[in-house]
Amino acid sequence: MERTANIESAAWREDICSPAVNRQLSLRVFAVTLILCACFSALFASWLPLQFSIVTVFLFAGPHNWFELRYFLTRLPVRFGKSRNFFLTAFAGIGFLTVSYIALPVLYSFNLFPDHLWPTLLASWNSLLLLWIGMLVWLRGKNKRGKDWSLAVPVALSLCALNWLAPEFFSLAIVYAHPLVALWFFDRHLARTRPQWLGVYRRCLCLLPLLLVGMFWQLSRSTALPDDNGLFWRITQHAGAQLLPNVSSHALVTTHVFLEMLHYGVWLVALPLIAPLRKTDDERPLTTRKREAIWRFQSLPVARHPRGFPRLVTTALALGVFFVAILWFGFSVDYTTTRDVYFTVAIAHVLAEAPFLLKVL
Amino acid sequence: MKHFCRLGALCLLLALAITAYADIAKPKEKPSPSPQLPKIVLHTRLVVVPDNKAWEAKLQISQSSLQELRAALGNGNESTAQRITRSSTRTIIAGVFMFLSLSFAGVWLARSMQTRGQKAVAALLFATAVIGAAAIIAQANAGPPGSYYWKKLPQNLTKGAPTSGGLDIEIVADGDIGSSGVQLILPIKPD
Repeated sequence: MERTANIESAAWREDICSPAVNRQLSLRVFAVTLILCACFSALFASWLPLQFSIVTVFLFAGPHNWFELRYFLTRLPVRFGKSRNFFLTAFAGIGFLTVSYIALPVLYSFNLFPDHLWPTLLASWNSLLLLWIGMLVWLRGKNKRGKDWSLAVPVALSLCALNWLAPEFFSLAIVYAHPLVALWFFDRHLARTRPQWLGVYRRCLCLLPLLLVGMFWQLSRSTALPDDNGLFWRITQHAGAQLLPNVSSHALVTTHVFLEMLHYGVWLVALPLIAPLRKTDDERPLTTRKREAIWRFQSLPVARHPRGFPRLVTTALALGVFFVAILWFGFSVDYTTTRDVYFTVAIAHVLAEAPFLLKVL
Repeated sequence: MKHFCRLGALCLLLALAITAYADIAKPKEKPSPSPQLPKIVLHTRLVVVPDNKAWEAKLQISQSSLQELRAALGNGNESTAQRITRSSTRTIIAGVFMFLSLSFAGVWLARSMQTRGQKAVAALLFATAVIGAAAIIAQANAGPPGSYYWKKLPQNLTKGAPTSGGLDIEIVADGDIGSSGVQLILPIKPD
């Protein structure tokens, strides 16, 4: 009897520890974690949107930029090779568009242009952004065999046309679309590192529109959020309350905070946890490799390579840590001003996502 | 001779008077107040409800309508559509971009119409254009005029039943509607 029990127990243990069962278990854990994170983010964002907006930006805005920088350095090749034109266009565009974007509020403060010219300036900047992205897509397509991505040019031009009709709405669309880019990065990352999780992830993504519709349905009739102080007013304006007066500001801020929480979650938690990025000279399967510590800059390909730039990478990431600390200090001293400055300067990381996303496609 | 002298003195006096008047600084011409054209800032729906329990006429505005009205006034009395149509430079640039987009898309289609998938994309684009055109035609088929909805108001008021119809909110100059602050004009034609 005892022997029979031992045999059954051993068989059961063998069964539970088999790779297939483990994989199934890890898939379930992954799916449940994703769903719970999305639901809790939606719940908290709906419950106290203004407060969560303040807290999440304070805590995660700086660190997520640092993680993005680290990720981009991980994806940066040591030598550009055939992608030379692509990377030169990318970096030139990031530099020019960031400087010109930062110049817009500076010009506004000097009152150099009459009010009616601002939509034109905004539309011009948006057009440059779209044409830059269109050119990047076209250049990337040229490097990929058997792919014709030249359709990007007419698409970019038609988006330019829409942008000129309502430039303020186009800028607002960027505010809402940017957090979603992180989900695309995660999708591509899973395809490289854990392809068996990709299907579950995409099925979980179907939950996103349902959550958004549910939130809007619940909050569309709710009263507008108080915007009687400068900070709350800025948060509601950032979410588009002035441009969309018929939509409850509660629903707008909630949606924006929810998407931002997902964005921070992907960059700060999901990608570092599910990112044992190693060079392919490691023969072990990806799932069994050890994860690199995030502070080990020397493990990045661009630093580790014999012809790489270890000092440059270390300096860039150390400066990144310093700027995160400065940002936290600024938020503690004058949250409102620092938030304004952050969301202006942060356009650089929004722009940087475009070429690196194209590189992983 | 005496009469001649009197007439001469009068003419001289008149001539001097004209000269003297000419020495006075010409009063500054006040710009004549150009009649301020009334502007329609918002279109909404109005329901007229007779209430035999009410002691005072009441104007109820929904929160969303008020927000729309505020936004319309805040945006220089122009809706988004009006701003688009009135900004000719931006409309021209948008048109140029659309023209370039269609041109490049045409070149792309002509170059890549080889596989079945690409033909499907072309068919999809064509279908989208047809649906868009159909939507424009459907939109052009406007409903009946506002007076159609309001013509039953007298009968409904007699019956105590509500009447609803479209309403344009118009901002007029002070005094244009007498001493009253709000005026309701209903398109009811006498039989």
